[in-house]
Amino acid sequence: MKQVFSPLKIILSLLLFLFIGIPFIALLLSSVATGWQWPVLFPESYSFRAWEYVLFGSSRTWQSIGTSLLIAVIVTVINVLLAVPAANALVRFQFKGKWFAEAILFAPIIIPPFVAVMGIHLTFLRLGLTETILGVVLAHLSPTLPYMVRAVMISYNTLSVDWENQARMLGAGPFLRFYYVVLPHLLPGIAAGASLSILISLSQYLITFIIGSGQVVTLPILLFPFISGGDPAVASAYSLLFAGMAILALLAMDAVLKKYYQTKNPSVLKVKGVKR
Amino acid sequence: MWQKSKPYLLLLPATGAIVLLFFGGLFDGMLKSLGYFPAIGERQLHLTAYTELLSSDSFWESLSLTLRVAAISSLLAGILGGMLAIALFMMNQSTKAKESRLWQRLFQLPLTIPHLVAGYVIVLLFMQSGLFSKLLATVGIIDQITDFPVLVNDPFGWGIILAYTWKEVPFVLLMVYPVLARIRDSWRDVSRVYGAGNLSFIREIALPIMMPSWIIAVFIVFVFTFSAFEIPFLLGVTYPSMLPVYSFQLYTSGTLADRPEALAVNIILALMTIVLGLIAYYFSKRWNVTKGWQ
Repeated sequence: MKQVFSPLKIILSLLLFLFIGIPFIALLLSSVATGWQWPVLFPESYSFRAWEYVLFGSSRTWQSIGTSLLIAVIVTVINVLLAVPAANALVRFQFKGKWFAEAILFAPIIIPPFVAVMGIHLTFLRLGLTETILGVVLAHLSPTLPYMVRAVMISYNTLSVDWENQARMLGAGPFLRFYYVVLPHLLPGIAAGASLSILISLSQYLITFIIGSGQVVTLPILLFPFISGGDPAVASAYSLLFAGMAILALLAMDAVLKKYYQTKNPSVLKVKGVKR
Repeated sequence: MWQKSKPYLLLLPATGAIVLLFFGGLFDGMLKSLGYFPAIGERQLHLTAYTELLSSDSFWESLSLTLRVAAISSLLAGILGGMLAIALFMMNQSTKAKESRLWQRLFQLPLTIPHLVAGYVIVLLFMQSGLFSKLLATVGIIDQITDFPVLVNDPFGWGIILAYTWKEVPFVLLMVYPVLARIRDSWRDVSRVYGAGNLSFIREIALPIMMPSWIIAVFIVFVFTFSAFEIPFLLGVTYPSMLPVYSFQLYTSGTLADRPEALAVNIILALMTIVLGLIAYYFSKRWNVTKGWQ
């Protein structure tokens, strides 16, 4: 059996190298190369000039990372607050016009959000929301919220009302019930939604550019002039930093979640298993 | 009374936000595309922007480029992603669960890469003095920089196609693989009893099972490519440009007169994605895509 599939493994390894390996090697080499002339496959000399510039030379890098993360975190917190009650209603209640509510909430997945942002731009301008973090946060809500609702809905689907009823019988009020029964169960869904929400918010360029008008400098805004014809070494270093930031945000979310289950609430996993 | 209105109250904040920020923006844009600018005293609604747009060559060129790029890149991503899913599925039958999860995660890495970075990766690899050109020159296949085809900032859109294919292969994999993973080991054994080799197993069992979700995945990639901005902005040419870029060019061109046209492009784009989205939704419900079969 093993023998039959080992050629497949070799092909897959080659594909992995071609798809994932080469792009990263290219970015890495380009970020440390000096004078990488055309016919030579590997750079002749290396220096950390671009990295020094990106990490220490310009304070704008750290400011832009801070702005990006600040916006992503505010957007995600608002998303959680909006999505949990909405998902609750969509999963646990039967009511008239449910399909309509779903259509409204999930529309920004299909219709490109920049259409709405360009449309609302002049109104934002009049309200003084352009060039502000608040304006950019508001603009980032519609591309991210549908994914959060979706993720929390999946968690609600596996949460039986019985658990809450049991807590009610033991005398827990609505807040205690939510905190000790509902929230722990929703957490994986919230974390998955938060990862998506952070990732989408971090990588927005056009929406931030329109509403921020170049004054709200997130990492993609700072990066763009470099990658469209600037210094290739600096552009590569910024690209790696940008990609790394997105991947790190995901890994951090993963780690937080794991830690939560290990320390705080070991019983939750068992509870989940019963219902599924 | 409370029980009846409770779901509506729970939904109010989220739907309110979307209605206000998203549909409000769409409506605002639509009014302005019809020439309604109270700030400069324009209150008449008219279709000038639309008629001018539909009679201009640049709009139609832009539309055909958009359709071409979206069709080619979604097909390529679909074919590669589908093959990858089958290959991983076949391999995972003989490997441990932990190892197969690692493989999947590695192949899904491009999903987390921001679009701008994906675009820049394509620049580094495929421009005329890029890494692949250097590689070909080193092994002696090409002699001059100009022997390497123009694949970045080219009028056909190859650079955009390459970038989207790279970015969306993992998406197709993500959509299709879970369906394949539901094939039981016993089915494989039964097929072997009836004399089916690997190829006929793939053809007779794996392919039909993954088909519905594969089609929907390709369709979603198509709609997405249709309406995304960053990659064509970076890898395209000024003329013709893909529809979202075309709209952005009109919007930022400086003259106020072009703005209704830009917003008209947006409304047309939105209508097209709505129609395409409804088609995808209809078939995904009908074919029961997430499950694959009943």
